Amino acid sequence: MSTTTTLTDAATKRKTVSERKRKARQIFLQDNLARLLIIGVVLFLWQVGVNHKLIDPFLMGSPLGIGTEAWRMISTGQLFTDTVATVQATVAGFLGGSILGSLCGLLLWYAKRLARILDPFFIALNGLPKIALAPMIIIWFGSGMFSKIALAFIATFVVAVLTAYQGSHQIDQSLVNMMRSLGATKRQIFAKLVIPATMPWIISAFRLNIGFALIAEVGGEFIASDKGLGRLIFVNGNLFNLNAVWVGVFALMAVAATLYFLITQVEKRLFAWSKH
Amino acid sequence: MEAAVLPRPDTLAKSGGDTAISLKRLKKTFEDDEGNLVEVIRDITLDIQEREFISIVGPSGCGKTTMFNIIAGLLEPTSGDIVLRKGRPKTKRGSQIGYMLQRDLLFPWRTILENVTLGLELAGMAKSERHAKGLDYLSRYGLGDFAGAYPHSLSGGMRQRAALIRTLITDPDIILLDEPFSALDYQTRLVLEDEIVSILREFGKTVVLITHDIGEAIAMSDRIAVMTQRPTTVKNLYDVGLSLEHGSCIKARSDSRYQDLFDTIWADLDIQLGAKHP
Repeated sequence: MSTTTTLTDAATKRKTVSERKRKARQIFLQDNLARLLIIGVVLFLWQVGVNHKLIDPFLMGSPLGIGTEAWRMISTGQLFTDTVATVQATVAGFLGGSILGSLCGLLLWYAKRLARILDPFFIALNGLPKIALAPMIIIWFGSGMFSKIALAFIATFVVAVLTAYQGSHQIDQSLVNMMRSLGATKRQIFAKLVIPATMPWIISAFRLNIGFALIAEVGGEFIASDKGLGRLIFVNGNLFNLNAVWVGVFALMAVAATLYFLITQVEKRLFAWSKH
Repeated sequence: MEAAVLPRPDTLAKSGGDTAISLKRLKKTFEDDEGNLVEVIRDITLDIQEREFISIVGPSGCGKTTMFNIIAGLLEPTSGDIVLRKGRPKTKRGSQIGYMLQRDLLFPWRTILENVTLGLELAGMAKSERHAKGLDYLSRYGLGDFAGAYPHSLSGGMRQRAALIRTLITDPDIILLDEPFSALDYQTRLVLEDEIVSILREFGKTVVLITHDIGEAIAMSDRIAVMTQRPTTVKNLYDVGLSLEHGSCIKARSDSRYQDLFDTIWADLDIQLGAKHP
């Protein structure tokens, strides 16, 4: 009797596990289908509106026009060149700024006094819209890619320093004391406690910084550049070619979503210990 | 092994046996925000014997944490002295005293095995060697199956046991326990009290338990020091030894002397609800 119950229980449990997985997959598919449907409906209504002269394509663009424009830019290779230029400058500035910034922020844990002295400077820099520095940066580094990298670097560096520094200061003093009682040196405390304990903060700074790096990079392209998605949008906006502007906007959205997705993957791998 | 219920008039050491730590006229004053000196500890003079289990009980806010920090070497006393066995200098105190707190302080990003071997890792022991030692300890104390698990998947009692192993594995002479059970539910607490007392006796450790829980102190200790309100001094010392006599903390709780001691210590603490902030 009891054996039968146990067997049935186990079977039910197994069934529910596989069923739950199947259900999760089903929900995932259904959600994405619904998302595609929303996009389809919006594009359809937009196009119908344009066809019936309810929407002015000169001011709004039209889905078919955007499609044609996109195809033209893909076939000439312009879209690819511009996307690559923007991605390269953004990623280079973002990685440089975020990694170096996090390292500096962590090292400030070592130098408490220096951290205290520098604190107001970082707060002031953090509040400054970094794009305000663009004209200067362009004068110093020219209108090429390097000035965009520098802008993305500055925009992400300060955020990374502040976040890593704050994170390393949130560490529970009891943990530090516990390590000391086990005979840890300051360097060991840094390597085995401060760095891993600050990682969640650092990753959240990375996630924020994708957006900041793109803003700075595209803003820099608006001011002076020879290629890139920001330039594509800016130039076509001046020409009132709204369809081409939309192509640039969608390409930027795709870039942002891809970078965000990559960070999420890194995060999942780094914090495997939190879910099991 | 007769448990004397009568309070001892002096605060001097019990005769016989070596002294593991002696606290000599410890005093601690802090400066508050307005710059006034606040006297937290007035005078603590106490000799703690080699291999004894002594509890320090006091009313809440009596400076127990300050005492803990001073004995653990995290805080310097304003005046007075702490002398360790064999005249070791007090600056070397940290490595001889291991402690365990209410919170397990396990690193969530490390497995249980990596957590308990932290002290060995810091001392530079090779990975294979320390993992072998860690696994040995873990399986001896019922955590062998959880070596590769992360702390969040263990119960509170298991995490506390892991924290104790982390302390024991580096072999300190003296173990300082600061309310290690207060975050646990009652049943787990009783079981863990028993386990910890027997583990610590097996290792022959000198144990100082700091607690506000009179019952826990009576059930576990060989001796109890009762503290006064702030500024703290030692009010009374009691010989207990019920757990040693019965071989179990749970049985110690049903000894007739348990209630007598409880009443006496309760009266000592002179706890008046609402009287603290007139």
